[in-house]
Amino acid sequence: MHLGTGLVCGSKIKDMVKAGFEFIIFLADWHSWINNKLGGDLEKIRFCGEYFKHCFTSLGVPREDVSYVWASDIVKDVDYWRTVIQIGKQASIQRVRRTLPIMGRGIESESLDVEAAALFYPCMQAADIFHMKVDVACAGIDQRKAHMLARDSAEKLGWRKPACVHTHLLIGLTGPSDRIEGKFDENPDVDGEIGSKMSKSIPRSCIFIHDAPKDIESKILSAYCSPKQVEANPILELAKYTVLPELGHLNIDRAEKHGGPISYPSYLKLEEAYRRGEIHPLDLKKGVAEALTGVLSSVREYFSKHSDVLDEMMKIDVTR
Amino acid sequence: MLDLEEKLSLTTRNTDEVVTPKEIREILETETKPRAYWGFECSG
Repeated sequence: MHLGTGLVCGSKIKDMVKAGFEFIIFLADWHSWINNKLGGDLEKIRFCGEYFKHCFTSLGVPREDVSYVWASDIVKDVDYWRTVIQIGKQASIQRVRRTLPIMGRGIESESLDVEAAALFYPCMQAADIFHMKVDVACAGIDQRKAHMLARDSAEKLGWRKPACVHTHLLIGLTGPSDRIEGKFDENPDVDGEIGSKMSKSIPRSCIFIHDAPKDIESKILSAYCSPKQVEANPILELAKYTVLPELGHLNIDRAEKHGGPISYPSYLKLEEAYRRGEIHPLDLKKGVAEALTGVLSSVREYFSKHSDVLDEMMKIDVTR
Repeated sequence: MLDLEEKLSLTTRNTDEVVTPKEIREILETETKPRAYWGFECSG
């Protein structure tokens, strides 16, 4: 599991549990099968789902605070498929095809070679929301088209529209120039964000939640991080989304001649200082690497006691 | 117990997009047990 899923989603889940939401973590095994994850092998997919439960527990989302629901649970219910069809009858094939970026496919997948089952997926994702009587649907911003489909369907069918919370996709460590090919959204900002996200298919763009401290450090030290540049800066994003929400501050150990050690109490202050050139990229990297390593210590500790789960997962998921 | 503003702030902080803050506020105001979900594809 990489940082985006673990820390960005994990933090937001914790926020919302604290805010009093009954929270469902939905393990979309059937959707994963449709989208050819792990070779479309449902057994591997289900093991991965169990691994995810361990990951979230290790990240401070206790099992008793959330409910885990599998897609294979709800697909047993005829009413679920009735909802899927109702949604599928309110949207054209054209419209549903344009939501395929939620599956990681480009918006201009004009090719009709796309598997027919791919068209079930967006309708299922929208149906999930209504079937589980969800008030607020949360996801990374690359999923927004599924949520807009759900909202449009609700309007047409006279159902209550789900509200949505969409989180940021962390930019890959190698920087904005390393992009996945394709167009993913009509909005250029959203498209850029989706295209340059941390991805297992781009080596060294990703940090995994159970990476050893030396690997976290080496990946961060070799990451893209231009002086004074605050836009599309992978290290500042790590500070903003994975460190500051967890720790409330970021310590930077500057040499005395550059001002000595300093602690930033908010992302705004950090960003401002970086923009003004008050922080050297190397110092930022070291500070973030150390802080992030600390944030993830609970994960390493947890998996040291559940090493069989991690070992099995490594065997199942041979990185592309 | 957190107040409404604290709950709203927790829910909407560090996000790229909230659709819509007004609806979230209404949900927090009117639902005693508001329900939220996050779906994940199970891939490593």
